[in-house]
Amino acid sequence: MSEMHYDAVIVGAGISGALIAKQLAAKGRNVLILEAGADGGAEASTYRSYVDAYHLTEVKVPNSPYPANPSAPSPSVLDVGPIAPGRPDTAGYFVQNGPNPFRSNYTRVTGGTMMHWLGTCLRMQPNDFRTRSAYGQGVDWPLSYDDLAPWYERAEWEIGVSGDKSENEFGGIHFSKDYDFPMEPIPKSFSDRWFEEGVRGMEVALPNGETKTLSVSTTPQGRNSTPRKGSYKVGGEKQPPYGAAGATGAYAFQGQRCEGNSSCVPICPIQAKYNALKTLSQALRQKGRVEIRSQSVVSKIETDGATGRVTGVVYKRYEFPGAPAWEMKRVTADAYVLATNAIENAKLALASGLCPTSGQLGRNLMDHPYVMVWGRAPRPVGPFRGPGSTASFPDFRDGGFRTKKAAVRLELANWGWNFAANAPYSDVARLVEGEYLFGPELRARLRDEVQHQVRIGIMPEQLPSALNRVSVNPAYRDSLGEPRPVLDYAVDAYSRAGVLQGMDICQQIFQRLGIENRSTYDPNDPGYVSEAGRGFVYFGAGHNAGTHRIGASRHDSVTDLDGRSWDHDNLWLVGCGAMPTIATSNPTLTMTALVLKAAAGLERALEGKS
Amino acid sequence: MGDAEGFLGLSVALTGYDRASLWSTGCVPAYRKQLDAVAGPALADRLDHIGGMLGALPPGPAVDALIREEVLSDADLGPLARSLIQLWYLGQWTPMPQDWIDRNGAKREDTARIVSTRAYREGLVWDAIGAHPMGAKPQGFGAWAEEPPSETVR
Ligand SMILES: Cc1cc2nc3c(=O)[nH]c(=O)nc-3n(C[C@H](O)[C@H](O)[C@H](O)COP(=O)(O)OP(=O)(O)OC[C@H]3O[C@@H](n4cnc5c(N)ncnc54)[C@H](O)[C@@H]3O)c2cc1C
Ligand code: SF4
Repeated sequence: MSEMHYDAVIVGAGISGALIAKQLAAKGRNVLILEAGADGGAEASTYRSYVDAYHLTEVKVPNSPYPANPSAPSPSVLDVGPIAPGRPDTAGYFVQNGPNPFRSNYTRVTGGTMMHWLGTCLRMQPNDFRTRSAYGQGVDWPLSYDDLAPWYERAEWEIGVSGDKSENEFGGIHFSKDYDFPMEPIPKSFSDRWFEEGVRGMEVALPNGETKTLSVSTTPQGRNSTPRKGSYKVGGEKQPPYGAAGATGAYAFQGQRCEGNSSCVPICPIQAKYNALKTLSQALRQKGRVEIRSQSVVSKIETDGATGRVTGVVYKRYEFPGAPAWEMKRVTADAYVLATNAIENAKLALASGLCPTSGQLGRNLMDHPYVMVWGRAPRPVGPFRGPGSTASFPDFRDGGFRTKKAAVRLELANWGWNFAANAPYSDVARLVEGEYLFGPELRARLRDEVQHQVRIGIMPEQLPSALNRVSVNPAYRDSLGEPRPVLDYAVDAYSRAGVLQGMDICQQIFQRLGIENRSTYDPNDPGYVSEAGRGFVYFGAGHNAGTHRIGASRHDSVTDLDGRSWDHDNLWLVGCGAMPTIATSNPTLTMTALVLKAAAGLERALEGKS
Repeated sequence: MGDAEGFLGLSVALTGYDRASLWSTGCVPAYRKQLDAVAGPALADRLDHIGGMLGALPPGPAVDALIREEVLSDADLGPLARSLIQLWYLGQWTPMPQDWIDRNGAKREDTARIVSTRAYREGLVWDAIGAHPMGAKPQGFGAWAEEPPSETVR
């Protein structure tokens, strides 16, 4: 039943898979992408239907726009419930052993999770690559900031990042002289600037004796602003002036500059925000041949017992999403790439019995347990306008305190208490059902209540732990008979201590600016945890990472620096699963740098063969 | 019931938005249908009648008194009016409380749902808070950096 033989078969049509395809096809390779999800917005009408579905759903969560597909299920943040000891929570797609619930999701549609990412594109700081040697925590990466810097540059140009070098040179981050972000920065929001003005010169003394002076830095973002004029050196190579990538398909007339739709999560209606469909459509225009087969769930990676080499990929092609009927198919290639997201990569590799040597496959699952602090500002700040976040306080992303407490990034939010308290819906309900307001008074009160809403998000780093892991258990399967991810997960004392320190800093900022604290944490919430007698609720950030980390040795890592499996010579695992630690930056930019590096290594390996 | 005058009179008084604003949402027919379907003919007639009276009054204390006395504090009309306000503000119907259902019967249309994509986009809340519906009617590049617009309630 074998069909055509390819140079490479890539599993997953998210940004990781699309980028590998684009790079290989640029070298004339024949590539097949197998994608579990359905169509996925490549058609203009599908993309439009996503936007409509978002408008129509009452509970607007990241997966709202994307149709539920039992043939390739996705986790939903709404599935998360409390976990009783010894009894896993199986209500959603994940099987959650706890002790704490894993609260993040991902999306299995063509284009993957980047359909509803926010767009934040931060680099890691030099010390983030060496937390073991610097702070005795986590593990060191097998490469340094300087090693990754040229790949960061290429990644920023692939995604199309709008940013400002001068405001991002903190914590040791530096940029090459003849390099710049491809696009001008996205303007800070009015409330960002109000915070910036208010904290100017403010010093924060930390319990360990360190003192930090607060700053508000503009966030580099994967959304279009205005391309920079002139040409720059990217990864050491001179590039022509950047041309922004617009929308895909029949939407090509859109997707120019961000126009402030304020719905980046869960969908940018005009594709001003980067999504992986853009890279996919670029891949299709390369000189090599890229073929995408959607509704094709990869089920098994077959290997030769003697050599360890992968010999083929078995997938289930379903015709009708939701119907328990499929056709088994198999394809072969010289090289195989798993690019299905940290959790699915580990699941698929574990279910296929791959990568046994290090014992690390599936382990070290990390996320940013995201905690919110919110309040009422003393003046209107204009929330619910523009991208979800345009700036942050970067000052606590590194410091000597990391020997004891997690570093945190404090992210300024632009959508009031939307994520924290379901504003403005909850405001309307409260004023109408609770205060019996109507008419002009209702209108005025709504404005007053919402215009003053501010929120800060605390993103703590999480250490890699062998106990936080993805596994498979034949007892738990989806409707296609594929294993469901089984998760063990805990938010440890290190992260919790970092969150508490972050909460204290937020309160100092509130005190300085005259913001009334309105944060409340419900002890019955499944994400409620406490430390040192203080409780808070954490959420998932969608930053699933760590499950197949890169490393210098086959004994403590799953792949080499380029994502090539130590145990299987022609198998690559790419995505956030490659990251040994997660630091305080949203992971996709670092992941993209690693994916580009992997693609180059893969191409070299293919050249060696042909 | 013929024209939408009663419904509009009621809606203007309850929302604080004038006729032109409400008409221009394009949602009047759909919302009227939704309200009538849940209210049933007798309660719909009462609301229509009160709406007619409201429409004839200049905005001010007389309108407020009439709304509080005849509508909001009425066990049958109050919940309908509060759901109608939320329908206008959010495009979303809020189901009747149980005691209302016990008295007036369950209605098939009485479910929590966003009436249409248009209803979502035309929710008055977004204008009221000085913003725009998330995912629609964008304000343009960089608008978020500007001082928030000042209040314009009449
Ligand atoms: C709400 C949210 C907001 C986020 N915001 C940010 C942000 O601001 N900044 C940031 O850096 N990161 C952000 N992220 C994280 C970011 O989305 C991910 O890091 C990124 O999407 C990972 O890319 P990927 O291609 O590796 O995986 P994905 O994007 O998840 O793509 C994987 C693809 O593989 C397919 N697939 C899965 N299983 C199979 C199978 N068995 N067979 C075939 N195909 C399969 C899936 O359908 C999917 O298309 C966010 C995530 C979430 C959830
Ligand atoms: S603010 Fe709007 S236009 Fe800009 S990226 Fe987000 S959704 Fe797209």
